[in-house]
Amino acid sequence: MRHLTRLTALAASLAFTLSALPANAGAVLDRVLAAKTLKVATDANWAPQSFMNDKNELDGFDVDVAKDIGKRLGVGVEFVTPGWDIITAGNWSGRWDMHVGSMTPTKARAKIFDFPSVYYYTPAAVAVHKDSKATVLADLNDKAVGTTATSTFEAYAKQDLTLDAAGAPAFTYEFKPKDVKSYSNSTTAFDDLRLGDGTRLDAVVSSLPSIIEAEKAGYPIKQLGDPVFYEPLAVATEHGDPEFDAKISEAMKAMQSDGTLSKLSVKWYGVDYTVVK
Amino acid sequence: MLYPDTVEAEVLVHKPWFVATMFAVILAAFLAFNLTGTTMGDLMRPVIGDPLQSGLYGRFAVAFVVAVIFSLNVVLIGFAPLKVQIAIVWLELLVLFLGFFETFHLSLPFIWEKLPFLITQGAVTTLYVSAISIVIASVIAILGAVAKLSTNGFAYAIASFYTSFFRGLPLLMQVYLIYLGLPQLGFVIDAVPAGILALSLCYGAYMTEIFRSGIQSIDRGQWEASRSMGFGFGITMRRIILPQALPVIIPPTGNQFISMLKDSSLVSVIGVWELMFLARTLGQKTFQHMEMLISTAMIYWIMSICLELIQSRIERHYARSKVR
Amino acid sequence: MSLDLIIEAKDVAKWYGAFQVLKDINLTVRKGERIVVCGPSGSGKSTLIRCFNRLEAHQQGEITVNGITLHDKMRNVAEVRKYVGMVFQHFNLFPHMTVLMNCMVGPMWIKGVSAAEAKKTALRFLERVRIPEQANKYPAQLSGGQQQRVAIARSLCMEPAVMLFDEPTSALDPEMVSEVLDTMTSLARDGMTMVCVTHEMGFARAVADRVIFMNAGQIVEEGTPQAFFTNPQNERTKLFISQILKH
Repeated sequence: MRHLTRLTALAASLAFTLSALPANAGAVLDRVLAAKTLKVATDANWAPQSFMNDKNELDGFDVDVAKDIGKRLGVGVEFVTPGWDIITAGNWSGRWDMHVGSMTPTKARAKIFDFPSVYYYTPAAVAVHKDSKATVLADLNDKAVGTTATSTFEAYAKQDLTLDAAGAPAFTYEFKPKDVKSYSNSTTAFDDLRLGDGTRLDAVVSSLPSIIEAEKAGYPIKQLGDPVFYEPLAVATEHGDPEFDAKISEAMKAMQSDGTLSKLSVKWYGVDYTVVK
Repeated sequence: MLYPDTVEAEVLVHKPWFVATMFAVILAAFLAFNLTGTTMGDLMRPVIGDPLQSGLYGRFAVAFVVAVIFSLNVVLIGFAPLKVQIAIVWLELLVLFLGFFETFHLSLPFIWEKLPFLITQGAVTTLYVSAISIVIASVIAILGAVAKLSTNGFAYAIASFYTSFFRGLPLLMQVYLIYLGLPQLGFVIDAVPAGILALSLCYGAYMTEIFRSGIQSIDRGQWEASRSMGFGFGITMRRIILPQALPVIIPPTGNQFISMLKDSSLVSVIGVWELMFLARTLGQKTFQHMEMLISTAMIYWIMSICLELIQSRIERHYARSKVR
Repeated sequence: MSLDLIIEAKDVAKWYGAFQVLKDINLTVRKGERIVVCGPSGSGKSTLIRCFNRLEAHQQGEITVNGITLHDKMRNVAEVRKYVGMVFQHFNLFPHMTVLMNCMVGPMWIKGVSAAEAKKTALRFLERVRIPEQANKYPAQLSGGQQQRVAIARSLCMEPAVMLFDEPTSALDPEMVSEVLDTMTSLARDGMTMVCVTHEMGFARAVADRVIFMNAGQIVEEGTPQAFFTNPQNERTKLFISQILKH
C-alpha cells in the first residue's frame, strides 16, 4: 500500500512540474523549421477536399494546398486525421501546427483560432431526393433537413449562421425546417436521404462540391435551387504566433498570384472556387 | 451445463402444436410483407402467373410456400444428431447473412484491392492497441484489487473512486477526456498512447472487480497457513494468493480482451488509423463505404472467433488442472 | 525457570463483538511439555491456540511467546511465527506447489536458506513423516492423512520450538486418523513441545503431560491424564467424559 501512495505522489508532482512548462510557447514557426516538418490536421473523410485515395494515401484539394504551403516554407508535410470536433475544440497542444480542412472563419471560432488566409469559397447548396416534389427552397419549410454537426450548414439550417470573414457575400434564409438532424459527416446524411424522399430526411444542406460528387457516385439526389450562401474557407492556426501566420499568408498570396491555387481548384472541382462569383 | 435428464424428452420441433404455431407465425409474417415483387415471386411464376398481377392470391401462395419450406427444414433438422444440427443451422444462418449482403451489390474487386491495407494497417493497429491495453489494464487491476481489499483508507478511497469513475463514464467520453484533457495538465500525448491509456483505464476499472473476486475466491486458510509460516503480505500475495487466483481470473480476462478488441474502435475518433477508422474512410471518395463497413465487420468477427477459440482452450486447460 | 517457559498466557480475554470467547485464561507451556486441550465445540479452544501465534488477537491480558509479548502494534510477529509451528484442521497446504515445494518455501523465503539446503531439510522431514516418495506430487493427489502429514513436515522444516495442532484429525476419514496420530506421537516421544486441540482421548492418555478442559471460554479443569479421566472434579467435565466414552 505504501507503494501505491508513493506512486500517486510521484504522478502528482510530475503533473505539477509539467503543467508549469508552457504548453504552447508561441514559437510554432521555430518548431516547424527546426523539425523540417509541418504537421497538418485534416479530415480523412471529406472528398474531394481530403480523402484516402486508391493508394491508401491522403489526397484532395485541401491536401494539395497544405503540401504546397509546406513546399513554400521549405519543409515536409505530415498529416494527422483527428475527428472534426476534436480539431475545432482547440487546445492542439502542439500535436499539429495548422489545420487545412476547409474551415469557415466564423466569429466564434476566431476566439480560439487565427485565420491567416481564406483560400477558397464553397457554395453551400441544398440537395433533395430525386423523387422530391419540392421545386423551390421555400417548399422545405417545416421539413426534416440533415446537416453535418457543428458545421456552418447546420448553423444555416437552424437560422443561426454568422459569416463574418472578410469577403463573405451576404445571404438570406430561404427556408425554415421543422427538424434539423446533425450527422458526423455529410456522407451519412446522404445515406439517409437516399432511403427515399421524406423517409428520414427531406433535404440535406451541404457543400455544392460534395453534392455533385454524391450525384456522380449514383446517389438518387439532386440540387434544389441556387446555392444558399458562399462559405469562405480558411487555413486555421492557434493564437500566439503571428510570424507563423504571416508566413502562411505570404505563401498563400504567392499561390494565388502564380495561379497554383486556381489550378488546384480546377483539378479537383472542375471550377475555380478560389474567387467569389 | 444444463445437465439434461437421462430420460430423453420429446423433441420440441416435432410436437404438433409447435410445428403448427411455427407454421402460422411464418405464414402471417410473410403475408404481412408483400414478397411477390422479389425473386421469390419470380420463382413462383408458374403457379401464380405474373407476380405483380397476382394480388392477394399470389401473396398468400408465396407466404405459404415459404412457411412450408421453413417448417419442413426445422422438422427435418430435428431428426439429425446434435453435431449435424449445429453445423446445418450455422450454415443456413451464414447463407442467409451472405444473401443479405448480396442485396447491397458489393464490388468484390474493390474489397480485394483494399483488404491487404485493411489488415496490415487496420487489424494490426487494432490488435496491438488492444494487446498493450489489456496488459496495462491487468497491472492496474492487480493494484486496484489489492487496494480495494485493503484496510488502508487512502488506498481504498483512491481505488474505489477510480473504479466508480471509469465504470460510470462511457468509454467514448473517456477517450475524449484523456485526449483533450491531459494537455491541460501539461501531458501532450499522441492519439495512439491516448487511446491505449483510455482503454487501459476503463478496462482496468472493470478488471479490478474481476481480480478482486479472484483474490476473494481463495480460501481464508491459505492466508492463515501463509501467515503462520511467517510470510509477510508481499510474499503471501505474490507467491501464495495470486498464483491460485489466476485460474479464476484468466477466463474472464480473455472475455474482456475480446470486448476490448471491439471497443478499441472508439479511438478512431481521435484519428488512430485502426480498423474502424479505415472502414469509415476508405471508399468514401467513390461512395463504396458499404463494402468497407461489411469487410471490416467480417474482419472483426473473424478476429473475435479466433480469440474465442483461444479463450475456450484456456478455459479447458484450467478446468483440467482443477480436476488433476 | 523462565528459560524453559515457551508460552505464557495471563488473564487473557477475547470478544467477538459482544460475545466473549475467552475469559480469564491463565496457562503456561514449558519446554518439552505436551498439552492436550479439549472441550465441547464452541468452547474457545481453537481460538485460544490461534492467539498463540497471533492469527487471532486477544483484547485483554497478556500473552508472551519466547519472551515476546503479543500485541497489535508489534513489529516482530514474524519472529513469533518462525518460533511457533501450526497444523490446521483442513491442512491448508499450498495447492499450486508440489509437496516438496510446500516444505521448501518456508526456510527459503523466511530464513534465506539456499534451495539445495531447503530441499535437503524438506526431504529429511518428509522422511520423518514417512512419505518421501510423494515429494513430487501435488497436494490434491494425496489422501487426507498424507496431506496432514505433509502439513506437519512443512511446519517442522521451519524448526519451531513449539507445535500447535488445531484439531488435526477432525477432517480425516476414520482410517486415516491413526497415521497422523502415530506421527504426532513419535514427535512427542522425540521431545517436541506441543499444544494439541483434539478429541482423541487415546492420544491424550498416551502422550499428554497435562490435559486442559475448556468450557464457554474458560479453563474449567486442568490436570494429568490420569486424574482427568479417572477423577474429574467439574460437573461439565464429568458430563463430557461420560459422553465421549459412552460408545
